[in-house]
Amino acid sequence: MTDPAAASQPGPGPSVNAAQPATETPTPKTLPIRDSQSAKGPAQPEQPSSKAKDATSSSSAGATAVASTEASSEPAADKPLTPAELKKKAKAEKAARRAREKGERDQAGGGGGGAGAGPAAPGAASGAGQARAPATPKKDAAGGAPQKGQRGVPPPRRGSAPVTQAGAVTAVEQKKKKEDKNVAVFGHLYGQQRRTTVAGAAKEVHPAVLALGLQMRDYVVCGSSARCVATLLAFKRVVESYTTPLGTSLARHLTTHLSHQITYLSTCRPLSISQGNAIRSLKLAIASVDPATPESTAKATLCDFIDSFIREKITVADQVIAGSAAQKIQDGDVIVTFAGSSIVKQTLLAAHKEGKRFRVSIIDSRPLFEGKNLARALATAGLDVQYSLVHGISHAIKDATKVFLGAHAMTSNGRLYSRVGTALVAMSAKERAGGVEVPVIVCCETVKFTDRVALDSIVVNEIADADELVSALPPHQITGLPDPAAASAAASSDPKKGANRASNATTTSDSLKTSLNTSSSPLSNWKETPNLQLLNIMYDVTPAEYVDMVVTEMGSLPPSAVPIVHRMSTNM
Amino acid sequence: MATSSDAAAADVTKPFDIVATYNELLRSDPDLTMPIAAIEALVLLLTHSASSTISETLDLLEKSTAHLKKAIPNPIGLSAGTDLFQRYLITTLQRPGQLGPAGDFKAIRTHLLSNGRLFIRRAKESRHKIAAFGRGFIRDGSTVLTNGGSRAVASLLQKAADDEGGPSAVRFRVIYVLSSTSQTLGQSSEEPEGMETVRALREKGVPVATIPESAVAYALGKADMVIVGAEGVVENGGIVSRMGTYQIGLLAKAIGKPFYVVAESHKFVRLYPLGQYDLPIEQRVIEFQSEEDIAEENKQQAAKTDANAETPIELPLCDSVDFTPPHLISALITDSGVLTPSAVSEELIKIWF
Repeated sequence: MTDPAAASQPGPGPSVNAAQPATETPTPKTLPIRDSQSAKGPAQPEQPSSKAKDATSSSSAGATAVASTEASSEPAADKPLTPAELKKKAKAEKAARRAREKGERDQAGGGGGGAGAGPAAPGAASGAGQARAPATPKKDAAGGAPQKGQRGVPPPRRGSAPVTQAGAVTAVEQKKKKEDKNVAVFGHLYGQQRRTTVAGAAKEVHPAVLALGLQMRDYVVCGSSARCVATLLAFKRVVESYTTPLGTSLARHLTTHLSHQITYLSTCRPLSISQGNAIRSLKLAIASVDPATPESTAKATLCDFIDSFIREKITVADQVIAGSAAQKIQDGDVIVTFAGSSIVKQTLLAAHKEGKRFRVSIIDSRPLFEGKNLARALATAGLDVQYSLVHGISHAIKDATKVFLGAHAMTSNGRLYSRVGTALVAMSAKERAGGVEVPVIVCCETVKFTDRVALDSIVVNEIADADELVSALPPHQITGLPDPAAASAAASSDPKKGANRASNATTTSDSLKTSLNTSSSPLSNWKETPNLQLLNIMYDVTPAEYVDMVVTEMGSLPPSAVPIVHRMSTNM
Repeated sequence: MATSSDAAAADVTKPFDIVATYNELLRSDPDLTMPIAAIEALVLLLTHSASSTISETLDLLEKSTAHLKKAIPNPIGLSAGTDLFQRYLITTLQRPGQLGPAGDFKAIRTHLLSNGRLFIRRAKESRHKIAAFGRGFIRDGSTVLTNGGSRAVASLLQKAADDEGGPSAVRFRVIYVLSSTSQTLGQSSEEPEGMETVRALREKGVPVATIPESAVAYALGKADMVIVGAEGVVENGGIVSRMGTYQIGLLAKAIGKPFYVVAESHKFVRLYPLGQYDLPIEQRVIEFQSEEDIAEENKQQAAKTDANAETPIELPLCDSVDFTPPHLISALITDSGVLTPSAVSEELIKIWF
């Protein structure tokens, strides 16, 4: 009965846990709860006993935990069961359930990787990482399957687990090492791992929202506006299929019902500013529904509201923006753009349709390669497109005459918050040495304006799975490999110098070959490599001085006018 | 409906030539700015026209505005006025009540006309307001560098000179940059723009030095501030004004002297130029020519004088303008207060939304 107390303090959880599988015996009843509890921190998936796990291998780790808690507490509680104890027991169960829910929310992948929630890079990579982990005796064989997908499993720890007789010291050290994998400056952003599975989602979550969450996580639905529209459409279906439970009113209950959906979505990927703004106005619309209106009419008005919101704030706004931004493109322009903004695409297509003749140079970056689709779309439309990655920026900017950028958000101090790399492009355009400045134009709907202020890109940002950096490496780098035949030919033709050079060439080609052969990526087991951190941030902040003009559906503004327009558009 | 209103518009515009009225207004009143002349011309147009519905009025207005803009080589200044008037008209018509769409059109029309006149009167008074705001910027012993023939600047400087209590109390000096373009263009009979202001200031006892444009960088070291006028203030807080202002702005920035712009708030234009070459007017300032081209042009000119053929209106070089970006401007002294360049867009948004 002391378990709940122990469970409530997450204290030394991991280190103790690490020791336990080896000894296997210590009170199995304390374990499960701790286990799920610790999953919130550095995920600690070690199962208490392989047998218990085997028995319930189909259920998730949390479920196992509760099951075994109950099993263990039952014999003790069998005989007396005073009311106080009953209360205590209920409390304990509640705590356990809560812990489990939390654990489930935090853990990513639990069964999801195996259940094939899509060939998502993160899941696959973490699975691969585990497979490569130092093989441990029998325990692994038993626990492998259920553990597989669990995010954050520290493979080295498993390897060390059998040796834990050495003491908790190693475990502590390893814990430290594992936490190092978070880049310190961005430590505050790692809080929540992205969900990888629909398992453990609240039962209120609508299937459409469930699907959308996974799509957003996998970047199937990507881009601020697209996510906003998709969210609103999903919420429309939620509203359509909603029935007010007895004893509450729609205005009151639908808001909480929606917030379940929103919580779920935000565990898949942090919400964008536009999503936040859209949700806020939707909630406002729900709250202002007159309780006297019949449910069907209320739902119809809400659906209408959603439709008109999408039309006004995104669809029509995009057309207006594309039209007025296209006016800024003149014959002979060379437009540089970064990644793949849908509104920039519309602008360029609109200008092309008007018969303007200009070139487009798309700068793209890893790991999302959003510019590829843009490049294809523009090229098929008949535009002149040049595509290069961000490291070619200085070359691409050389003959640029204008820079068009999309936005994730515009902050109240006029700064542009957009896909990481945008600031670099804007800076290259404005600080180009010895040339005329290139105007930087941002196309942005007012729904993306926020009253927040961004001073840097550290305080507010989003961290994506660092494994994306690993797995998205191009599979081979064949180009530029010295041809062995040519090398030998050179050696034979130039016998004096050739010998030395040829040997060099062969060695380099050998080393390249080996690196190609060994694994898909040298970083693939970065989690085990000491002194190595991977950082995959999503956004950066462009200073207002680098932005000449913000084209919105309410007209063109200097970045300093963003807060005014935001105030006006929210007051309306 | 559309056809009838079209016909009405055509009937009305024939006897009433808006372009001629506009030019006549500007000529008759030297104190009139371009946007105000445009508004006055539009008000006159409405008084002459016999429109009886709202849409007819708006349609007529739009057509005449387009006509006027096309006929004037540099429509930036006047477009501020026409846009403002149109905006005012629409908001008045949309307002609920007696003067709204449901109201009696006759009443609306008279209201519009009287208010239009009121607007013009107020706009003319705004120069005094500006002078009152801007007077504080000119302190004892300071030297002001200015250029062009801006009436707002002239009235500000004269007000400052008056205020100190007559000729004995004057304690500021003026360096006046005189444009040389008009002379080079062979109009040497006319004195350079701004000479009138120079004389008026000297009369008031203000020591004035006149320098050519080429001496601005040399003279700026002796000046404490730069005050210039503007033809239009654009959305990002930059200004469109007499050719040569941009370079003064650049030099003032480089030397670290404050650069103030004096402009009435009706000169705020809904325009967002990204640079010098993004203005909606055709200027032939930079012209590359070889010997051949010159010969060709001479031949053409001879032909033109014969045929008097229609050519696209171009801005004469002395009337050309440039764009001074907002980061060079320290403050804008307007009749709605002293604004930073970024506040201009706020003012514009207030008018337009």
